[in-house]
Amino acid sequence: MKNPDAIVIGAGVVGACCALSLTNAGLKVLIIDRGPVASGTTGAGEGNILVSDKGPGAELTLAIRSRDLWFDINTDIGGGFELEAKGGVVVSRSAKGISDLKKLSALQKENGVEVIELDGAGLRKIEPYLSESVEYGVLYPGDAQCQPMLAAAQIIRAVKKRGGSFIQGENVIAINSNAGSLIGITTDKNNYSCPIVINATGTWAGEIAKLAGSHLPIMPRRGFILVTAPAPKIVHHKVYDADYVANVASSDADLQSSAVVEGTASGTILIGASRERVGFKADLDISILRQLARQAISLFPVLSSIGLLRAYRGFRPYAPDHLPVIGEDANISGLWHAAGHEGAGIGLSPATGELITAQITNQSTFIDPTPFSPKRFQGSEYVAV
Amino acid sequence: MHNVVIVGGGPAGLSAALTAAVAGAPVLLLDSNPRLGGQYWRTPADNFGDQNENHFDLATGLKLINSVKAQSNIQVLSGAQIWSASHKDGVSTLRVIYQGSEKIINTGNLILATGAYDRSLPFPGWDIPGVMTPGGVQSLIKGHGVVAGKRVVVAGSGPFLLPVAAGLVKSGADVVELLEANKSWRWASSILVLLENLSKIKEGFYYIEAISKGKVRARFGQAVVGAYAGENGELESVDIAKIDRNFKIKKVRNIKCDVAAIGWGFTADTSLAGALGCKQVVAKDESVVVLIDSKQQTSITGVFAAGEITGIGGSELSMIEGEIAGKSAAKFVGCAVDISRSDLIIRAKKQRFAAALIKAYPIKSGWRSWLDEQTVLCRCEEVDLADLKDSIVELGATDSRTAKLLTRCGMGLCQGRICGRFVVDLVADQLNISPTDIDRIAAVSRPIITPIPLGVLAAGE
Amino acid sequence: MSQFDIQFTFNGETISAISGQSVGAALLAAKQRTLRKTRFNQKGRGVFCGIGVCFDCLVVIDGASNQRACITEVISGMKVQTQVGTNA
Repeated sequence: MKNPDAIVIGAGVVGACCALSLTNAGLKVLIIDRGPVASGTTGAGEGNILVSDKGPGAELTLAIRSRDLWFDINTDIGGGFELEAKGGVVVSRSAKGISDLKKLSALQKENGVEVIELDGAGLRKIEPYLSESVEYGVLYPGDAQCQPMLAAAQIIRAVKKRGGSFIQGENVIAINSNAGSLIGITTDKNNYSCPIVINATGTWAGEIAKLAGSHLPIMPRRGFILVTAPAPKIVHHKVYDADYVANVASSDADLQSSAVVEGTASGTILIGASRERVGFKADLDISILRQLARQAISLFPVLSSIGLLRAYRGFRPYAPDHLPVIGEDANISGLWHAAGHEGAGIGLSPATGELITAQITNQSTFIDPTPFSPKRFQGSEYVAV
Repeated sequence: MHNVVIVGGGPAGLSAALTAAVAGAPVLLLDSNPRLGGQYWRTPADNFGDQNENHFDLATGLKLINSVKAQSNIQVLSGAQIWSASHKDGVSTLRVIYQGSEKIINTGNLILATGAYDRSLPFPGWDIPGVMTPGGVQSLIKGHGVVAGKRVVVAGSGPFLLPVAAGLVKSGADVVELLEANKSWRWASSILVLLENLSKIKEGFYYIEAISKGKVRARFGQAVVGAYAGENGELESVDIAKIDRNFKIKKVRNIKCDVAAIGWGFTADTSLAGALGCKQVVAKDESVVVLIDSKQQTSITGVFAAGEITGIGGSELSMIEGEIAGKSAAKFVGCAVDISRSDLIIRAKKQRFAAALIKAYPIKSGWRSWLDEQTVLCRCEEVDLADLKDSIVELGATDSRTAKLLTRCGMGLCQGRICGRFVVDLVADQLNISPTDIDRIAAVSRPIITPIPLGVLAAGE
Repeated sequence: MSQFDIQFTFNGETISAISGQSVGAALLAAKQRTLRKTRFNQKGRGVFCGIGVCFDCLVVIDGASNQRACITEVISGMKVQTQVGTNA
């Protein structure tokens, strides 16, 4: 494509949503990725679209808006990515956990999230196989799920149908600017002139930012997911332990894990979630798989006889202040970043796209974008580890 | 306790076990089947009586199995399934499901002999009950005393079809067609190799005698290209085509049958080798095999491999490779034993024969023209050709891995054992490129080797 | 020929088998070839590879689904059922 209006680097779910948003706003968009669609973290994602796991603040506001936008996108592009308004159930079994969950859900309710408190009997009405040891939980009807690789692929297909293009197999090696204004990028195969570039490279966003002399301290936070053999319908919602929220918010590099269990349209059951900062260590850590299995069985004892079929790992793009980076580069105007969504990338992509597009096209934004600005890292002590 | 751990109780594993044990190294032999012998010497439970009738050289197998059982320094664990394995700092860790719970085995000295299974190619109707592999039909006869049906078509390519047809005839089935896709004159190019392996000629005549008694006529240059179900949804008839040398259809006829045993050679199961990190390469028949040196050692010191996983080559090659691997492994732990010149000569002879087989029975790309849009490719996840094409044309997949993520092809219970190999070809076809070695090797990557119940996983250390 | 010394049921119907046989073999001998219905298209499937590799011969045995009939040995009194999708 000659002379695109905007280039999006990264064909994961965030890049795809940015491209769609810009395309729908009338821009001619070129997506570039060094690999195929969903070859980064999106390809290892579970498909979470959650409002339940965020306390009040900018991220929750973004999540609520984004969740609704997913359903708009579904209608807009004609589906094809298993989007389901499945609902989430958060449970706790400790006195402190229950008390914290009550407080959190009350705050979330004040901020526009629908919450329904349930006791043991109420829980087992909607989740008959949930362990008898669980006596308190909260249902979040707003939580949803999709198939993330299909989502990225279907969105990019729509972008192409509407005049955009997708080039894969090109590595960006330079970001070119003139007097603080973006003029284009250079890949290992081509040179592109373009006034607007979006860095949607997730866990590798720091490397791309560096090409522009900018500092984005985004680091990999490894996670494993267990996939079972196709099983009878055992889990009806996404069900997770309230510890999950604390783990996401933790800055600890050591292993954090808590039970997250959900069924999929294809019949397999997905089990997470683990978080650790070990760089890009690729090996399969069996002890973590065992822990995830234990946690899942603790919530759903019948899972004991279900077979583990495969396991995969992904590297969540983690920013040290736990907020995604969405906004214009500190030094180069025309260069935008949309990355660092940690484990909420899928859920937050549509609103990310909307927010970026609104700023680029000088429209009003539905939320004050300041908390997400990459400028917050300028001259900061945060160092990419 | 034991110095050598061997995985696989077929010709290669048994030979390795006996050789290593006789050389003085105590052996632990793990096998996933209930009885030793692998696929090749599949035997039924004791109460089935004398099985010599159904097998050309079962006597060799029984002798080896009994020797292994009698050898005091060989411990056998049957019904042991390895679900995961890793190698670090000279130690291989095998995580085994045995009698319902997990057993961890750590060893510095390992021989992999995990064998192979029938290679399948898709065609319209291949998923109808009644369509099976030759190995499946043979296993039913040899291992369970059951003939899969009355009117049987045996088809595909390769010398394995002969003993399967013979076994069916001996068991009273009517083998209505025996079809070899390649032309009969292909053997002429390897006549010298054939002569050097006289036992093979004897074996061939044994089977030919058996099938001629059943009045079966072998036809060359023909293949099953379609299968049809009756009202009960089960196999009723097949389309048989005269094919050209590229396997493209020239003329089709339909015949009634209730079983079709169709196979196209073998695929090695290198899942365990791959999980440990042994280097794998693509062989001349495009199968993925484990790279070994002249001592049968893999790219990992102390990990040896023997049999079909080093290259499809039949039972006699498997046995000599097993013997050599057994000696190498025994020597590795300090036993005074050496590979002899005659070992090397025999192995070279058997390797030449194996290479000649591959040359005589190539699988040509024309099989892809037999498919229609609704032909199931991934049986486990019911992904058809239209779905696969869609993932490439519409959703932009440019390699097998992405096509897999978008369609679920290869993500089901068998983890791509049946479809993985030919999906690589179909994806490359669609993209007008040649499949890369990386694609082929990625298609056989299975860090979780077999499903493990979550409860067993949770209970392990 | 060996004795039919094992009895089990398939969808309630009594099937005779010889000890040492697999469920799949015994069912094939009794002319029962369709063992399951697939979960997306409800297509019938039976024994395909016969050696435990393809996972097509899945049946429900005593309530447990995803059991490979071809490698599961018959036991007297086993309750085998057609697997429809992911369970009986």
